[in-house]
Amino acid sequence: MTIEEKEEKTQEKWEVQLRKGTLELVILAALRHRTLYGLELLKLLQSFKSAAITEGTLYPLLDRLKREGIVDAQWVQEGDVRPRKYYSLTTTGHHKLADLITLWRQSVFDIEFLLAHPGPDVLPVQGE
Amino acid sequence: MEQRDMIHQYLKELERYLARLEKAQAQEVLKEIESHIFDVLEQQQGSGQVVDASAILQGFGEPRQLAFAYIAHITDGAPPPAGFKAIQKVKQGVTATLYYTMAAFGFSIAFALLFVAGAKIFMPDSVGAWSAGNGNSLAIGFFASPYPADQELLGAWFIPVAIFSALLVITLTRKVLRVLKNNM
Repeated sequence: MTIEEKEEKTQEKWEVQLRKGTLELVILAALRHRTLYGLELLKLLQSFKSAAITEGTLYPLLDRLKREGIVDAQWVQEGDVRPRKYYSLTTTGHHKLADLITLWRQSVFDIEFLLAHPGPDVLPVQGE
Repeated sequence: MEQRDMIHQYLKELERYLARLEKAQAQEVLKEIESHIFDVLEQQQGSGQVVDASAILQGFGEPRQLAFAYIAHITDGAPPPAGFKAIQKVKQGVTATLYYTMAAFGFSIAFALLFVAGAKIFMPDSVGAWSAGNGNSLAIGFFASPYPADQELLGAWFIPVAIFSALLVITLTRKVLRVLKNNM
């Protein structure tokens, strides 16, 4: 394995970790004020480079979110098409999303702060 | 048609691995996944694309793995403390022993029933079901010095009854074995 290949692999790993960590936030954000069925949600997520997940990840995750009362699911039959299971956020889900957004924004803010203040200057302590 | 067979095969296998969920829950999972697959399939057909069931199924992963993601919360519910691996091993061993004991027990009873049914054809007087001790006990089988023939209960009916019982025992044994295997 060359050094470039090793670097690529590390980067890939990091991407996977990042995607895993943010997945719940991404799904809740996608469902904010929107009711989607599995395939719609999957296509929406796959249209983003950082949120492309597979069916095998999405459905069990939706199942867990439903069990935790974060999303609600309802079967809807429209006309002749087969019934589809639509997901939406519950009140708990909205609260959870608000919490996650706060954490996410803090994290982005902190990282951006670090990036904006490279050495050798002493890092200004936040909040002062 | 082959594409549909592939999908049905996949769903069937998934259903088998979802056995630990409640039936209604498992059916709901299957219904949703089935709806997704056929939605995609029809969209591919509608837009004149090559219909590729295996590509769709690939996104879901192996049935076993997919099912595992759905039942993980049950399996993970009470994880054994670290260092308790040995106990798990023993438990697994018991299940395996139970599995083979159950198989031997069930199938040997079925075999014995089939055997006496066959023997009844050749030695009708020595084989049968007798009520003994004024109805307090029942003797079924193959006797060297049989009970008086006139008290035999089933006569020629003994053969179909024994064969039917054997089949019933085989079916039940297989059902129990399937449950045991799922939990092994």
